[in-house]
Parts: sequence; structure tokens; C-alpha cells
Amino acid sequence: MLGKSTTRSSFIAVALMASVAMPAFADKASDTLNVAFTKELENVDSYFNSSREGVVLQRAIWDGLIYRDPNTNEYVGNLATSWEWIDDTTLEFKLREGVTFHNGEAFNADDVVFTVDYVAKEENGVKTQRNVNWMKSAEKIDDYTVRILLKEKFPAAIEFLSGPVSMYPNEYYAEAGPSGMGLKPVGTGPYKAVDVVPGQHFVLEANENYHDSPKGQPEIAKIDIRTIPDVNTQMAELFSGSLDLIWQVPADQANKLAQMDQITVANESTMRVGYLQMDSAGRSGDNPFTNKLVRQAVNYAINRQELVDALLQGSSKVVYTPCFPSQFGCVQDVTEYEYDPEKAKALLAEAGYPDGFTIDFYAYRDRQYAEAITSYLNAVGIQTNFNMLQYSALRELNMKGEVPISFQTWGSYSINDASAMVSQFFKHGSLDSTRDDEVLEWLDVADSSTDPDTRIEYYTKALEKISEEAFWAPMFTYNTNYVFKDDVNYTPTADEVLRFIDMSWN
Amino acid sequence: MTDMTDPLAQEIQGPSPRQMLKARALSHRGLIFGMVVVGLLVLVAIFAPLLAPHDPYAQSLMKRMVPPVFLGGTWEHPLGTDHLGRDYLSRLIYGARVSLLIGAVAALISGLIGTAMGVAAGYFGGQVDAVVTFLINVRLAMPVVLVALAVVAILGGSLTVVICVLGLLLWDRFAVVMRASTLQISRRDYVAVAQVIGASTPRIVLTEIMPNVFNNLIVIVTLEMAHAILLEAALSFLGLGVQPPTPSWGLMVSEGKNMMLFEPWLVLIPGTVLFVLVLAINLMGDGLRDVTAPEGRS
Repeated sequence: MLGKSTTRSSFIAVALMASVAMPAFADKASDTLNVAFTKELENVDSYFNSSREGVVLQRAIWDGLIYRDPNTNEYVGNLATSWEWIDDTTLEFKLREGVTFHNGEAFNADDVVFTVDYVAKEENGVKTQRNVNWMKSAEKIDDYTVRILLKEKFPAAIEFLSGPVSMYPNEYYAEAGPSGMGLKPVGTGPYKAVDVVPGQHFVLEANENYHDSPKGQPEIAKIDIRTIPDVNTQMAELFSGSLDLIWQVPADQANKLAQMDQITVANESTMRVGYLQMDSAGRSGDNPFTNKLVRQAVNYAINRQELVDALLQGSSKVVYTPCFPSQFGCVQDVTEYEYDPEKAKALLAEAGYPDGFTIDFYAYRDRQYAEAITSYLNAVGIQTNFNMLQYSALRELNMKGEVPISFQTWGSYSINDASAMVSQFFKHGSLDSTRDDEVLEWLDVADSSTDPDTRIEYYTKALEKISEEAFWAPMFTYNTNYVFKDDVNYTPTADEVLRFIDMSWN
Repeated sequence: MTDMTDPLAQEIQGPSPRQMLKARALSHRGLIFGMVVVGLLVLVAIFAPLLAPHDPYAQSLMKRMVPPVFLGGTWEHPLGTDHLGRDYLSRLIYGARVSLLIGAVAALISGLIGTAMGVAAGYFGGQVDAVVTFLINVRLAMPVVLVALAVVAILGGSLTVVICVLGLLLWDRFAVVMRASTLQISRRDYVAVAQVIGASTPRIVLTEIMPNVFNNLIVIVTLEMAHAILLEAALSFLGLGVQPPTPSWGLMVSEGKNMMLFEPWLVLIPGTVLFVLVLAINLMGDGLRDVTAPEGRS
């Protein structure tokens, strides 16, 4: 098998080399790491995109005040050296001295005040409001002391400050704005963006003056990231040597790649949870999912273990909660629905659908998983009209409340707190298809309490009700396959963030 | 009537036109190949439930992408299984139904529209002709695939939508050819005679003109059928045609595409079948034209 696939891969490589004009061979010798992204990034400015690729670049180009070690989950100072809560809604930071931005601008309290005031203002249109709308403003105490004022109590503040909230240079950003920042990004991070050509590639270069950060120091001099949507093309380029690292490779392909020489496949779990959202509030009109028995039937109809074993593979797990198990407050002690198609049929009959029914089914990614899921539903009598839409189109339909049932996923922006997922979807927002008052009330308490025990208690109540009432059918967690040349030394982390700073040559 | 069994009379008269047609048809290899393949696939489509070894919708995630028997698989699944563990042969067999149904119905709808327009334009001429020619030009200016993509994207993909869209888009060649042939025929003496003895227009069109343009019509029907089948495959490949779990060859190619590098048979099998069907229909159409065209009769 090994011999066969190597011959095949070398054949493909030769065929490709003969037919395609290759970009310069990147490898250890030229100290350039070639990476592929699958999706186009709308804007490199991290406050104005909502994609995973954006998070990857954000962590490379910018720094936050705080850093969470991805392995120990411990918070340490990055641009701040220390911080303390003055009261429930005021956080004071001592800033690191001697840090400069890539353009030479010095980092100080003015930058923090400018960044926080800018992103917290709703009319400036930061794409994911939840990441920033808990901050009210910032106050400068002296050049290296600053206070961030919160709108109300927000226990996850530290987690957000170590994640999506990164610090921008005030003078440059005031002039360039989001579009200028998107084309010529300037931060304090370990890598500086030297060339951004939207739709073609991003070139990053190691920041030689990087401060003594908990992120470590960059080892690889140059990173060249190209957008290649097709997995087959990515793999072909990996064989031919014009790519060194690809990620988000589907399990089937990763299994084959793992058998090859000179290629390493590393699998890590991610915080992304795949679930079926059902319109239990009846926003899309009178539909069967307003009936609890039907929702339970859906939960029993799906063979989660088989999906994980056969399709997702890797480090994916079955979940029954609308959040990722490692998130704070995501208690796992909830009603579990074992695969039982007979019970599902019986519940449907009891609900008044002995012959099942036909319903519009929506999905936006992983067509293969979506097809497998509909096939389980079809087997118990729920016939589906399959609709595959773009993410933005489905999101819009969902906001209008026109989707009876859909296969959705949520990655929580890698925020290790249940509020990043449960509270996103069950607090009567436009994406909430449940609209349960009791759940809202409990989540309000859990989200704003500063006492960890109270938070756990109320998240437990909310999660128990959600799974008992079967508002959703949470199914599995995702994993990501990172595939790279043996030259590259990298250990991926469980948060779906590709960290160039952790990479080196073997 | 001469007695046809009389060898002398036969020698004097020669074979009848019908016999000559049959002889020409049988000696035309392309036509024979096309007819046999299309005929077989029609039979396969009709008797799909009897022929398919498994339920084409039965998913078995534990038996995904089993290779076909000639690549080391077993006879349990002669052509292997797809990415969800469904029997590939059964899906191919049921997919023939989708392809042939779409091809036949789309050709029928567009044939009715195109023939009506073309014959009317050719027979009446004048303003009717001007309007029809204008409509044909408008239609020819629109790229079929783009329009089909747009319409399907708006209405959502389903078998009915695809059939209707293709039926309403592919009438141009019918209209062009029928208009030209009718124009020729309607100048013939026997049409003038029919008009002089007071035959009604429908009667003239149906009994004098249609039988004489029918040969051309058959050829266009086959060509457009092949065209519609290819377009359906293209739309399904792009995810806008027939929706899963309905088996369609275009959809099967699309689903196999991701594994093309490692399991090329997932794409090759439906691709080959699609190729053979379209080739056969085209050969059949070409053959029919060769056999029935006036110059072929000599």
C-alpha cells in the first residue's frame, strides 16, 4: 500500500511539474514556509472579518494585552505586564514598555485607549459585535497605565482580551482605517505583513524586534500564504514541493496522506460543534418541530457515533450539549439521546406523524456530513428537500426565521467559555429559533455573574432544559488535520489556530 | 399491384424505399451502435428496480468507498460504494432514469415550442417570420448555462425545475431548422395544389408539411436530448441541479471529485457512462440524418 501510493504520488508530482509553471521552490533552504488557505479573506483587519483565516493572521500580526497559553489555558501578560479588577466593571492594566509597532510607532496607553474606544463604538461596524460590545471605553492614567471600563459585569473579559481584542497603533489606524489596515496591516506581533495581495497571497516576515512575549520568538523567516480553494490542488502542490503546509484537510484525504513518506499528518480537536437547529419557536410558520416529540425523534434518529467513527474521525467526539465540553460552564451531565431509529419512529407516530413528513433541510458546509444526516432522517420517515447554501445566505434566511431545520456549526471564536456559544444562540437574538424565556433568564444570570459557582449552576439549568426539550440536536465536535512536510516541526493546538510562531524547520 | 414475391417483378422494380432504408440503416455502424446503447440504457432505466442489486439510498457509513471488483473489491458491490457507503452500481442504474427522463422530457418540451415557432415562421412568413426570427436571435444571444444557473439558483434545484428550465431554453435549434425546412417545403407544388383545392391551414401543415420535415426533427431531438443530459450533469455537478439523495451521474462525479486524487474510479465510472450515453445519442442522431437525408438515398 505504501509503495503503491508513493508511486502514485510521485507520478502525480511529475505530471504536475511538467504541466504547471511552479513558483519558486520554497523550503528550508530559502527559509520560506508556503501555506495554503482554502477560503478567501474579506479583510485582513481582524475586527472586520469573521473567518478562521482571519484569526490565524490576527494572532501572527497583532498582540493582545493578555495571552492565554493554548496548552495550559493559563493567562499571562503580553502587551500588559499585569492587571487587576478595580471594581466589577473596571480593569486596570500596567503596559509593557519599549514595544514598537511594525512601522516604528511606540506602543503606549494612547494606542489602547484609541483601539478600545474605536472598536467598542457600534457605528464603527466591527463585524462580530459580541467580541467587543462588552467594553464601554478606555481611560489613560499615565503613559503605561490604562483602564478599560465595562458596560456591565462581564466575567469572560479576560478571555476575550486574550483572544479577539488586539491592539492597534492609534496614529496609523486613525489615518488608514479598516481598509488601509486590511491592505497594509501594522501591529506589534511576531510577524509583519510585507505583502498583501487580496485573492492571491499574503507574505509575512519575522519581526526581528519582537518583544519578550509569552508567544515566543518567530523562527521561520518568511511565510507565504496562498488561497487555493480546491483540496486536490493543495495536495498536488504539497507533493510537488510548492507547498509545505496545508490544513483543514478532510479525514479521507488525510488518511491517505498519512501513509506517504515525507509527510506528517497531525490531528487536533477544535472547538467547533456541529448541530441540527430546529425551529421550535415556529418562526417559519406551523412546522412539526414545534412539537417536542418530533424534536426528540430527530435526536434519536441520528447515529452520532457512526458519524464520528466513519466520517469525522480523528479526535472528534459525540456531544449532546450546545457548547464545546472544555468551555467553562459547558456541563456534560445532560439528557443523552442514544441512536434508536425505532424509538424515533414511535415518537413521530405519537406526535401524529405515523408516515413521517417532508421538510426543507438546509446546510452550508460539509455536504457529505449533511447528506449522511439527511439519510438518517429519511430512514425514520422525515423526508428532506436538501438545500445547500452559502454561509451568508443561510445566515440571512435564519435571521429572518425562515429555516425549519438546518445543519449548523459554531466555532466559538476559540473562546473557552460556554457563553460564546449557548448565549450566542439562546438569548432571543435574531439567530435564536427557540426563544425560551426560562433559558434566557438563566443565561442572563450565568453570563453576568462573577461567582464561578453561580455561573456553573445557571449554565447547568439552561443546558439541562435545552437538551431535555431537545431544542437542538447537537451531534459532534470537529477536528482539523494539519498536513505538512517532514521538514516542518509543528505541534498543533486544540483551538484551531495555526500558529506560525510555533513552527520551525527540522 | 405488382406481386412483390415475383422475382422478376422485384428485379424490375428494385427494392422498395422502405427496404432500401432498412438496408442503409443496417450498414451504418454508428447508427447501430447508438441505437443498441441507447436502447439498452432505456431498458436499464425502465427496469431499474429489478436490476439494481441494492437500494440506491441505503447508507452504510461503515462500508464507505469500497473499491469496485476490478480494483480489488468484492461482488457484494460490483462497482464499489460511494462516500456514504451506498452501492455505486445501483446509483448508476437509478441515475440512468434521471438522465434519460431529463433528456427526453426537456427535448419534448423544447421540441414542441421550437417546432411550432419554426413551422409557423416558415409557412406564414412576413410578420410572423420577423417575430420568430427576432425571438430566435434573442434566445441565441443568451448563454444557456448562465441563464440556467441563474434560474435554478433563484428557484432552487429540483428535478422538475431542471426539466422545465432546460425545456424552455433549448428550443432554438428546433426553431431554426424547422423554419428553414418549412420555408423550402411550403414552396413546393403539392403545397400550392393543396392550397388551391381549399385545404385548411392546419390540414396543410399536418399532412403536407410535417411528414416532410419529420426526418430533420428526429435528428434535432436526439442532439438536443444529448445536450440536455450534459447540461443536467453540469448543473448537478455545480450543486444546482438534481439534489441529493436523488442519484444523478453529474452529482456522482461532483461527490467523487474530492477523492479524485486517491480514488479516481469514483469520478471515472459515472463520467464514462455519461460519455457513452451522450456519444451513443449523438451517433444515433448522425446516423438517422445520414440514412434519411435525400442525398443518402441515392
